[in-house]
Amino acid sequence: MRAETLKGHLDGMLLASLEAGPRHGYAIMEALRAGSGGQFDLPTGTIYPALRRLERAGLVQGTWSEVGGRRRRAYELTPAGRRMLDAERGLWREFSAAVTALLEPEPRPVTS
Amino acid sequence: MTAGAAPPRPGTPQAIESYLAQVAGALPGAARSRGDIVAELRSGLLDAFDAYRSAGLTEDKAAEAALREFGHPRQLASAFGPELAARQSRRVALTLVATGPLIGLLWAAAAAASNISIRHAPPWQWPGAPAGSRVAFPLAAAAIAITVWTALFTVAATGRLARWLPGRPRLAPTAAATAGFGAMTADVTVFALLASQLLTAPGTLAPAPVAAAAAASLVRLTLTRRATRRCLAARAALI
Repeated sequence: MRAETLKGHLDGMLLASLEAGPRHGYAIMEALRAGSGGQFDLPTGTIYPALRRLERAGLVQGTWSEVGGRRRRAYELTPAGRRMLDAERGLWREFSAAVTALLEPEPRPVTS
Repeated sequence: MTAGAAPPRPGTPQAIESYLAQVAGALPGAARSRGDIVAELRSGLLDAFDAYRSAGLTEDKAAEAALREFGHPRQLASAFGPELAARQSRRVALTLVATGPLIGLLWAAAAAASNISIRHAPPWQWPGAPAGSRVAFPLAAAAIAITVWTALFTVAATGRLARWLPGRPRLAPTAAATAGFGAMTADVTVFALLASQLLTAPGTLAPAPVAAAAAASLVRLTLTRRATRRCLAARAALI
């Protein structure tokens, strides 16, 4: 899938990938890749600046920790991030329902 | 907890370290932010490396695959451009907001201690006010007003408000640099006033409070000049 198509929805998907609990950058990327059946194969580098932006906006919170001798930065949703995710989800449902209604051929009622 | 410049982890494949060095070299902005970003990228690259290793690749092939996944170092560095510009701008704006009132108070104390009587009248009508006050005071006031508004805007735009301002990476460094120019204009104007008073009536000035205020202004002027340059550099680095 083209990167531009994805761009407008990246924030929402990043937030969604943290809904179940904290994850670090690489795990988030793998979750996006696996969750989309391999459709969203972003250059991994783009995930990190996006996470930093969400952190600055107060939607996620990053914390450094050391696991098995390796320093890792895990991100988790803040309450504001959770609210933003709910809002994005609602908007997406409305939008996709409308697009589906317009793009999908409707079975025409048979008139006699 | 934030990380400073992260030392290379022993056992990190050489290819990954030299890639990280290339990214770090291409990242604009303050060293502290760079160290933090490089440390996070290193951990991500090692995660990718481990994943390819467990998939059965040799060390060299696994490092190569991990690097391919992260993309060209220059491209990766430029993806951080808006973020680093926003951080740099926020730091400058917060510093200006914090130091502004302090410097204002120091100058007010210096004027009060000197033989200049503050009255309920425009400053240039105060007895003993320096020559050139009629031009300098309105200029300084305008510069301070611009600084306050643009600095507060920068703080807002790089914080919570960033949620609603997507895709405008130039906004924050432009506003922060404007605030920086405003603060420098105010400082230079006050120094011009001080020079004018020193030349015409040096005896009216109280040495210690004036020296303290001048030192504070001078330090801020120097730091603001450097910070403003950094904001402009970060802005120029955005694609």
